Amino acid sequence: MMREFTCIICPNGCEIRAEIEEKEGGAVEILSIEGAACKKGNAYVEQELKAPQRNIATSVLVKGGILPLASVRLTAPIPKGRIFDAMAEIRKCTLTAPVESGTVVIHNLLGYDTDVIVTKDIPENAEK
Amino acid sequence: MDGQMDKKTCSQINGIRTEAVDVVIVGGGPAGLAAAVELYHKGIHDILIVEREKQLGGILRQCIHDGFGLTRFCTTLSGPEYAKRFIDEVEELKIPYITDAAVLEVTDAKLVTAATRDGLRQWQAKSVILTMGCRERTRGALGIPGERPTGVFTAGVAQAYINLYNTMPAREVVILGSGDIGMIMARRLTLEGAHVQAVFEIQPYPSGLPRNIEQCLNDYGIPLYLSHTVTAIHGGKRLTGVTISRVDEHFKPIPGTEKEYSCDTLILSVGLIPENELSLDAGVALDGRTKGAVVDEYFQTNVPGIFAAGNVLHVHDLVDFVSMEAENLADSAAEYIRDKSLPDCPVEIKTDRNINHTVPQRISGTRGFKLSMRVNRPMKDCRIVVRQDGVEIAAKKMKKAIPAEMIQMEIKPEKLKTSGNLEVCVE
Amino acid sequence: MKQLYDVLIIGGGVVGSAIAREMSRYTLKIGVLEKNLDVCYETSGRNSGVVHGGFAYDTGSLKARLCVEGNKNMGQLAEELDFKFIRCGKVLVGSTEEDMETLKRTIRQGEANGASGLELIDSKRLHELVPAVVGEFAMFSHNSGIVDPFNYTIALAENAHANGADYFFDHEVTAIERDADGIYALTTPHGIFHTRWVVNSAGLGCGRISDMLGIKGYKIIGSKGDYIILDKRTGPLLPMPVYPVPSNTYMGIHVTNTTDGNVIIGPNADMVSDFTYYGVPQENMDYLAESASNLWPCIRKQDYIRNYSGILPKWVDDNGAIQDFKIEIRDDIAPRAINLVGIESPGLTAAVPIARYAIGLMAEREKLEPNPDFNPVRRGIPRFEELTKEEQNQLILEDPDYGEVICRCEKVTRAEILAAIHNPLGVDTMAGIKYRTRSMMGRCQGGYCQMRIAQMIEEELGRKETEVQYARKGSRMFFGKVRQEV
Repeated sequence: MMREFTCIICPNGCEIRAEIEEKEGGAVEILSIEGAACKKGNAYVEQELKAPQRNIATSVLVKGGILPLASVRLTAPIPKGRIFDAMAEIRKCTLTAPVESGTVVIHNLLGYDTDVIVTKDIPENAEK
Repeated sequence: MDGQMDKKTCSQINGIRTEAVDVVIVGGGPAGLAAAVELYHKGIHDILIVEREKQLGGILRQCIHDGFGLTRFCTTLSGPEYAKRFIDEVEELKIPYITDAAVLEVTDAKLVTAATRDGLRQWQAKSVILTMGCRERTRGALGIPGERPTGVFTAGVAQAYINLYNTMPAREVVILGSGDIGMIMARRLTLEGAHVQAVFEIQPYPSGLPRNIEQCLNDYGIPLYLSHTVTAIHGGKRLTGVTISRVDEHFKPIPGTEKEYSCDTLILSVGLIPENELSLDAGVALDGRTKGAVVDEYFQTNVPGIFAAGNVLHVHDLVDFVSMEAENLADSAAEYIRDKSLPDCPVEIKTDRNINHTVPQRISGTRGFKLSMRVNRPMKDCRIVVRQDGVEIAAKKMKKAIPAEMIQMEIKPEKLKTSGNLEVCVE
Repeated sequence: MKQLYDVLIIGGGVVGSAIAREMSRYTLKIGVLEKNLDVCYETSGRNSGVVHGGFAYDTGSLKARLCVEGNKNMGQLAEELDFKFIRCGKVLVGSTEEDMETLKRTIRQGEANGASGLELIDSKRLHELVPAVVGEFAMFSHNSGIVDPFNYTIALAENAHANGADYFFDHEVTAIERDADGIYALTTPHGIFHTRWVVNSAGLGCGRISDMLGIKGYKIIGSKGDYIILDKRTGPLLPMPVYPVPSNTYMGIHVTNTTDGNVIIGPNADMVSDFTYYGVPQENMDYLAESASNLWPCIRKQDYIRNYSGILPKWVDDNGAIQDFKIEIRDDIAPRAINLVGIESPGLTAAVPIARYAIGLMAEREKLEPNPDFNPVRRGIPRFEELTKEEQNQLILEDPDYGEVICRCEKVTRAEILAAIHNPLGVDTMAGIKYRTRSMMGRCQGGYCQMRIAQMIEEELGRKETEVQYARKGSRMFFGKVRQEV
């Protein structure tokens, strides 16, 4: 059967079509891929069909900072199906100011080869 | 609080101590930051960035999702990280900036006044760079009928509440507008436990980038309904629901297609408007199509020495292009400071019905430049053609052209002449 | 037992608060029971803000007499209470023979009512006054003007409060009883209040309160009018309110400038019996814009900022004919109860004369002792935006909070927001801040400042985010925090 994807690797958003065959046990065989402007597009579609992955951007509580939250993201994407598990882990974290961009909040999130890192500097709040 | 500031030559204007400075940059977001760094590299050091927030970074401070810097840094960064690259350079180069300072006025004589906790500050600048960004179109501006309960937020406001203020404004959500911000918020709200029921878009095509439809809507099973809009808002105190109707090709609601959606939050992602109130006060002429200034290839407005770039000039999709545009502007501003003027740009750029607008709107014809534009509706397999006096001077083949994506073309100098208007058409 | 009030005023709108202020000139223990969370959420805050000349009402009516009196004294009142009033004049524009006859009749009626400054003007003069208007001639009412209805109502209330009147919000009166000694007991959600005198200034609720007092039979209908607010950049095109020649039932779709430089289009008039629904339907917006454009062709959708709606309580007879103001004491049914019924337009203009009239009725029955400490002067929150640069600088040096701009569109500073949060009446809603400072009323409609203001309310008043209300009780802004400590 034919499946259509919009690649998300770069702003081009190439429309890629893949002819696939569903095998037993949920496995998918890719018969052909076309429409990608570059190899990354093909790789993306293969990944999407076999094991879709996503990055997450969210926030972590900060105590004593000039802002109450530090934005965080993952250093590498994780399986799409585990987004909410990841959110549950991230929600448990609290940092104390000052916080620097790049700081690792959770190492090897959910056992994957990805860290949750801070993406924003949060200086200490001098007033309080 | 001041960044690094040296003692400057002062005078008294309007009874306020006034400092002389070469360049004042109004707004320390991505455009202002890029302009500042580039100006410095071009040898103009007497700069001052005036930022009204407590920190530099502009709207990027609340855009915590990634996708920034793909073309510029060949990596995907969050908004704050992208801003930090420039902020770090500003700090390293010791470029002067001031935060917690709201510019109240810019005059055509390039006198800039700002309110700070230490008093009014005033600067007599040789050149002013306008990089104030934009505001969001509101429910009131759209004139959506019905009651006016709380629970109706523009997407940027909801984003600020969640990402900066640690406040959750929503539980059951309907989103109007498939612009990027709306779709980003669909995902953000879902991740934080709200239930986004649907996204409605009045156009027959989505207005945001395809990858956001993929990552923000499809991933979470949030349906997108094209050719639909909100035709009534209900609730005397907090929102209780909205009425959704299908629209025809003239965007008029089709009677009989009304559906009621119970919800406590309506998120509006229905357009950005360049924030040009200060520009108007300075006598800067605006383009009715972009709502931003009319500029030439030097990004100079009709007021000599006043320049504009970034979202305040025309709404961008990618911050990478904002930075590039601001850097081009900075090169011109540096030239202006040195030569005290810039060449005339009498050649006008006109468009056909398919093109909504171009930036710049005027050129000199003496050198190459980058032409930015947006099409009015989605088109496939077309050619964008630029002619001068009927002679084709540049063309770009596009497999797909959509209003959501700004199109840019390098116009080479070889075929350009200094007289005869340019025409940009789609064929 | 709760303390005994001399007077309890039901309804803290412009009339209720004017009565409270006038009564505080005497040594009376005064309380105001207001249903909503602030003083201007109903009719007092939902109108065109026009100070009428007094020519549109039947000669000999209270509406006519009290309007003329209110108009004359508005300048002095605005100075005493520090609210915005501009005596800009008003034109009633016509183009037909019939219009001319109506205008001549209107001038005669106005003069008979004691109004002054009414002049028939020709096209040339009309277009000198309002270049953009469409019309052949007009009646120019020199003494008409515009007022900020929020400032005005809040100013009356704050001055009444400063002079000793107690204000109670979220105190809807649901039952009234009188004991053998003639003391009234008013039931509210927060307990029963006792008082010797009752004033019914409940506006839209005047019929219900009148019933509760035992004065039954008043038929009240609502005239709902919708309005569209245009961006300030349209302000220069409208130096004064422009009305079409009036009909008997309502004023016509007019365009009005505001004291802040916006333009308001409206109202229309729909008869309603639901006094709680303020939604604005599409067809009304379309009708307003289309109709008003005939008179003032400067209306563009891109200038729309917001719309709103207001309901006027009209007392009608069995044939539906609109009656005059009713201000009475029915000694036989409800002694020591001042009953105000059908206070609609020109209630805003006539608020203080209405109050004086009501107190006049009271004074006929009870000796009133002057309050030696009464101070008629009230100062509002200084507006940073209106000062010169030197004044702005000086203000910031005295109080650095004036140097922090919170509402960018209207240039409202932190100091003003703080003053509004700590307002004397104890109002703590976002709308309360809005009306006291103009924040969130600009073109971005709070897009830039509402987050900051909500945070300031939480910090200054020690509220949780879930407790911040926008305007009415139940209009919560937020559901909780995004992140809590685990």
